[in-house]
Amino acid sequence: MTEALFGGINYVAAKKGLDACVERQRASAANIANLETPGYRRVHVPREFQQSLREAVRRQDPASLAGLRPGVAVDGSAVARTPDGNTVNLTDELMALQENGVEHSLHVQLINGRMSRLRAAISGRMS
Amino acid sequence: MNLIPGATSATQGLQAEQLRMEVISQNIANARTTRTSSGGPYQRQAVRFSEALGEALSGVDATRGDRQAMPRLEILPDTRPPVRVHQPGHPDADGEGFVSYPAISVHEEMADLVSASRTYEANLAVIRNGRALAQQALSIGRRA
Repeated sequence: MTEALFGGINYVAAKKGLDACVERQRASAANIANLETPGYRRVHVPREFQQSLREAVRRQDPASLAGLRPGVAVDGSAVARTPDGNTVNLTDELMALQENGVEHSLHVQLINGRMSRLRAAISGRMS
Repeated sequence: MNLIPGATSATQGLQAEQLRMEVISQNIANARTTRTSSGGPYQRQAVRFSEALGEALSGVDATRGDRQAMPRLEILPDTRPPVRVHQPGHPDADGEGFVSYPAISVHEEMADLVSASRTYEANLAVIRNGRALAQQALSIGRRA
């Protein structure tokens, strides 16, 4: 019964976005912890996830949206700037960390907005 | 269960950097030590981040979560030969009047120390950020 309340495309997409934020945070944590490990290759959540998420929302396709899972993979495009072969750049990584935090709060706000509208509709009060 | 995303990796990173700083301070403290319990001058200790990590990471999958990447440290003796200084009056001088000092450059150690503390701060930033994420997630559904 609650599928109708919480099954909206945008709502589900926001939840998937939250999942991706958590994975990205994990990836950044691993990258920064390995800042000094020779030969370490940075990991990230591939861009394809964001693209398929956008595509599923555009086509209003709940089935393909439900199947989306963000994963962490080695970033093949990152190049080592030091002779030890480590592809992590601290500045870029901290920047990604901050951007990820902002994106996370955006998704939380979307979900909270949806919930407070539902609550207003159920109770008839704008609390 | 891990409430703060990335906390495990960041904690490992913090511990690794802390150990590195301890080794560096030990090197600086013993930069002029000419006699140790094993005889001879102090041997500089070098810290090596484990390389096996990069290989272990090539097959990452999301299900393994935070366990995917932990920096590991090894403490190895530096192989540089001691510096011989002519000081005939020194109690540790050899037959020719030379004293062996450990091959430690305080400048090099200080540069290492700065780099270690910078990485330490970066790992702290990860934990702070992860905590903010967790707090935001806990605020979902809370009435404003």
